[in-house]
Amino acid sequence: MATKSKQTASFMIRFNQNIYEEDGESQVQWRGKISHVQDGDAVSFADMNKAMDFIKEKLTIVTKNATDHKPDQEQEGLIDKSLDILKKVRSTGPKFLIDTLKDPKKQVTQIQDQIQDQISQVSHEISNKVEIDQWRAASKNDIKQVREEISTLTDLVLQLSKKMDALSK
Amino acid sequence: MNTQAHSIAELLHGKDNSPIRIYTLGQFKVYRDGAEISAKEWSRDKTLQLLQFLISNRSRSGIHKELIIDRLWDADSDRDFKVALHGIVKVLEPNRPARTESSYIIRNGLSYHINLSNIWIDIDHAEQLIIRANNIATTQPAESILLLRAATDLYTGTYLPNRLYEDWSSEERERMQILFLGAFTDLAQMIVSDQPMEAIRLAQSALQIDPTWEDAYRIQMEAYLYKGNRPMVIKTYQHCESILREEFGISPLPVTKSVLNNILAQ
Repeated sequence: MATKSKQTASFMIRFNQNIYEEDGESQVQWRGKISHVQDGDAVSFADMNKAMDFIKEKLTIVTKNATDHKPDQEQEGLIDKSLDILKKVRSTGPKFLIDTLKDPKKQVTQIQDQIQDQISQVSHEISNKVEIDQWRAASKNDIKQVREEISTLTDLVLQLSKKMDALSK
Repeated sequence: MNTQAHSIAELLHGKDNSPIRIYTLGQFKVYRDGAEISAKEWSRDKTLQLLQFLISNRSRSGIHKELIIDRLWDADSDRDFKVALHGIVKVLEPNRPARTESSYIIRNGLSYHINLSNIWIDIDHAEQLIIRANNIATTQPAESILLLRAATDLYTGTYLPNRLYEDWSSEERERMQILFLGAFTDLAQMIVSDQPMEAIRLAQSALQIDPTWEDAYRIQMEAYLYKGNRPMVIKTYQHCESILREEFGISPLPVTKSVLNNILAQ
């Protein structure tokens, strides 16, 4: 089995904003650069699809390397499955971004509602009788997953807050 | 000398008395009481790596041992962690009495962090210089220039270049690149009319960090304009245009085009 480091692909994305006047109208332009940490490759982009293609290429290599010992057909199936994560991002990610840019307040409210729902759900579960013998100790993986989810949510809220601050100025 | 001026002087010239000085830019070097610690003393790469990991995470109040092991070792390696930690302490404090706590690596339960009060780190010093320079840029531009110059002098290359492919180092590397890109271009912009050739050198340093940094091309064009070197203004613009088209498929910003148009109109 491949080691953990060989099963990991890390990406650093830099966005650089340019606001300028053109033909009497204010314009916003984003320039991006995405780097794949493990091999140092990087591409610049002004269109997110180019970044997504870059991520897809790198993830395909990770899955391919980890499944090289499998028959070709099975390997192809696994590569296809491994890229499901990007298909979902491609179908929902741009809509989320566009909606956020169009109406950041609405997006913040939605995220706040989602957090509130989660809190209510947890409160509800806590208020019910807890079958302690059904509990198991949290594994390292559980803790990591929770930490990552909290981190993702925090980042999203922070990004939206910044956008709201910028709009309110 | 007022307090603020004194602190600027201190930042610029004040000799730091920290017994440990760490350089992370360009090449990783550690000095103990003024003498460089040789590679042989570290004995294991993981010892160095653990120190570099703690430096990269120095803004956190403490990192749990499990998290450190998870990021630096592939398998459950409690023993390897202890060996590496012992290696750091032994190198940084060779005369530490037995069974006493380290002054540099602080343990709090199962969390660890580096004690910055006794350690000088190049990137922290550069950041302090840049923050102070930015704060006084409009009120004390001459002092701001001195501070930015001192900060950019500290840039001798990318952050931890020997850990380029380790994901735990990338966040700090990116933060430093943005910090220095700003410092190089801000300083170049501030001195472009008085010292155009130096502004060109600084802009080129920014472009070494990021060849698509358009501000740096624009400052170079302005500098060549001050030097009266019209062909180089045009050549720099063409280079900028070519890079932006190649990398992003876009044209330079109107403000960059206007520098060129001013030249062409003359």
